[in-house]
Amino acid sequence: MPRYGIAIDTTKCIGCHSCRVACQNQNSLESNETFNWIKHLDRGRYPSYNKQFIPLQCNHCENAPCQRVCPTGATYTSNEGVVLVNSKTCVGCKYCMEACPYKMRIIDHRRGIVEKCRLCIELVREGGVPACVTTCPTQVRVFGDLDDPNSAISRFIASTGAQPLRPDLGTLPKIFYKRS
Amino acid sequence: MNRSGITRRKFIIGSAVGGASLVASNYLDFESWATTTESSKDVKVTPTLCDGCGNWCAIKVYTRGKRIWKAEGIPIAGNNLGRICSKGHALLHEVYNKDRIKSPLKRTGSNKFEPISWEQAYREIGQKVGEIKTTHGPGSFFWLQYPEGNAGLCSRFMNALGSPNVFSHASTCFLPRNIGWWVTTGSAKPEHDLEHTRFAVFLGRNIAAGLRLRQLSDISKAKDQGARFVAIDPRFSELAAYTHQWIQIRPGTDLALMLAIANTLIAENLYQKDFVDKYSQGFEELAQSVNGYTPEWAEQKSGVPREVITKLAHDLAAAAPQAFIHRGYHGALGTQYKNSFQLVRAVACVNGLLGNFNQRGGLYDPPKVKLGKLDPQKFPEIQELSDFMVDGSGANDRYPLTPVGLGLTHAIPELALEGKLKAGFVYHNNPLRTCPNPARVIEGYRKLDLLVSFDYVLSETASLAHYILPESYYLERDDVVHTNHCYNSKQVAIRQPVIEPLYDTKPMVTILTELAKSLGIGNSFNFTLEDYNRAALAPLGITLERLKQEGVIDLGGNWEPGPPHFKTPSGKFEFVSSTLKDLNLPAVPEWEDPLVVPDQGDIHSFRLIHGKQAHHTHAKTINQEYLKEISVLNDMTRVWIHPDRANALGIKDGDCMTISNDVGKGRARALVTEGIHSDCVFLPSSYGVYSKKLHTAFGYGISYNDFLPTYFEPVLGHCMSNEIIVRVEKTPA
Repeated sequence: MPRYGIAIDTTKCIGCHSCRVACQNQNSLESNETFNWIKHLDRGRYPSYNKQFIPLQCNHCENAPCQRVCPTGATYTSNEGVVLVNSKTCVGCKYCMEACPYKMRIIDHRRGIVEKCRLCIELVREGGVPACVTTCPTQVRVFGDLDDPNSAISRFIASTGAQPLRPDLGTLPKIFYKRS
Repeated sequence: MNRSGITRRKFIIGSAVGGASLVASNYLDFESWATTTESSKDVKVTPTLCDGCGNWCAIKVYTRGKRIWKAEGIPIAGNNLGRICSKGHALLHEVYNKDRIKSPLKRTGSNKFEPISWEQAYREIGQKVGEIKTTHGPGSFFWLQYPEGNAGLCSRFMNALGSPNVFSHASTCFLPRNIGWWVTTGSAKPEHDLEHTRFAVFLGRNIAAGLRLRQLSDISKAKDQGARFVAIDPRFSELAAYTHQWIQIRPGTDLALMLAIANTLIAENLYQKDFVDKYSQGFEELAQSVNGYTPEWAEQKSGVPREVITKLAHDLAAAAPQAFIHRGYHGALGTQYKNSFQLVRAVACVNGLLGNFNQRGGLYDPPKVKLGKLDPQKFPEIQELSDFMVDGSGANDRYPLTPVGLGLTHAIPELALEGKLKAGFVYHNNPLRTCPNPARVIEGYRKLDLLVSFDYVLSETASLAHYILPESYYLERDDVVHTNHCYNSKQVAIRQPVIEPLYDTKPMVTILTELAKSLGIGNSFNFTLEDYNRAALAPLGITLERLKQEGVIDLGGNWEPGPPHFKTPSGKFEFVSSTLKDLNLPAVPEWEDPLVVPDQGDIHSFRLIHGKQAHHTHAKTINQEYLKEISVLNDMTRVWIHPDRANALGIKDGDCMTISNDVGKGRARALVTEGIHSDCVFLPSSYGVYSKKLHTAFGYGISYNDFLPTYFEPVLGHCMSNEIIVRVEKTPA
């Protein structure tokens, strides 16, 4: 089975939020529900002043703290390495939200459960790519199989040295960042 | 919990039922959702064109049942290459906005409307138009539009009615940019071969917010190939985050920088001699004119260090002809400063010195598609009426270079107050929000005997109209064949309905043909949109059916580099413009001061500048809740101010500031950032909706137009929208 991930080139992000709304439509989310965010990072004084836009979403950790704490087993990892929530067994206790060190989960108030990025697995299983990847005007995201050394994402990570967020936590995320 | 037999989960679900039932129709839980694309038989895909801005990106819209679900870009489309921005996604929801107008309306009082039938509306408008025509003549009519697909038919309508007064938003947007390029190169909007360039400079132009998806995509590819990009802007724009370098410049002084770059290229013999010798005229005069504009001089004006200016010139020369200064839009080269027209000329001339015209990685004239016309045997040809307009556009003694059909939108209120304009039709435009000094604009528009709007919501302008004939939303209508996707090849595209109209609305072309009958000009509109579109496609050898199936068709005819051709009077690239010379205007670029400057001795005095954000277009998207939510979540109505200036005023990040001048007063919270020049404050331009009938956006943020005096720049008449001085102070608690 493949093991899917996304590599994000933050030097190309313009903070346009196209990924956010593409995701909202794909997943039929309300305007105030989102599976991805953009953080603004300001640094330095002119002329070395710089601002970066950092797209954030569920990291689909190999060693997912959210999954470990789930009392009903609603959070699970699919065969493709995608961390998902089973809405039928989720009781909305929010332990997973507390456990996620990246704070990438949200409450679905309509159903009283917790939701998150699904890596558009239904599109991927049909041979597509996640909506946030397809729509991006600056091609910030590279999607693919981390286990295939010839995939675009594996080559991107190998050539840029992209790193996951907070590797020190031992969560083994599958979202990688190129920061400079 | 268990004792009572209610689990926590049941309790939560029970309490959520009220909310869930409201949204159940378009919400799927993960299990059903994960299989839905395979199993759903009711998913339909319709290619069409977005209406989020002027790019008209080609999209495929998915419906589930009768409801719109999502969209994807069409990969071959020249303007968007399969990408869609946040507006393109979010506006799919706008068709369901509860603020939509559901039938023709007649205004019965202040913000009071009654629904009427189309027949009654046509009849009453016809009667009113007849009266005004008899009393004041057809020259008292105007049409104002955002010029896009249907614009040609709207001009035909006005010409048939007997009025040359067709306005666009140009005088508040791009006017100097078009004219400056046109008099220099014969082409008003050269395109950029960004994908193959080696070094490019963006001067105030922020394509990462005034979004151009194609150009952004091309930069991404060029960056991977090692090209370098520089953003020059008073603030750290979204584009600055995307380029390799940000150069901060004092607002209104870009012209000094360009003159100094021309000076350096010439003084150091770094220009492309071959191009200059073969294809240009007036090089000697340019050399003489820029002789004194040294980098040292420009540093004084612009605050950009001389070594930075020299290095820019060297980097451009080293990469030439695969190098350029971007042709600009509203930012810096548009209707922003008194010297913007000179600036466009200077930018064009620097590009001339780089010899990049029709070169790989340079500038080029995009291929054009020649569409067919209606058969004149069956459908009467309508002549254009006049070569000048009521505002003086095109008139030798007023604004000879300002084209008829663009005109000066912000002159309309003045002309109405003077009694020269009596009746107006406003289409895809909202002058009450997008023109300077709204109080005066309202006063002017109130004077009109007849105002007809075609809006789909009660915008500020529609709220003042006597009649509203609601056009169907873009997802519900057909429009004329479109050629905007000609980027580096010839393409045609078409908009078509994705769903049936939800309300009693009609496509614009239908409204025009029906209204024409009641105005006594029905014989000029004796055709249908289908007739018109078939005639347009006839010479291309493709059928309307095929175009509707594919959405966009590439006809080949790709742009190829080669010797340049210039459609100027001399047939050459004109460093000395013969057009400007004939009009006794400065024929070579020279320094000109901005109209106003902040008072250096007053800690409260700032220039107010403005610009777009990527998720908004003009004033027309902030009422969309998915887009407003992005602004709210990221606190994006804040006004940018430099830390040193903020400190002096006791303002901390997030504090409320009062901004005022003779024109207006408003409040906004501060974004204290190093990313802004200390001479100015920056206000994002899409806020400040004051129509109470736009329920999502009403009262959210402020607009730069609330502070902009009504100016007419002497040569072209544009609005000089960055010539604003304001007083900034901390709002007392």
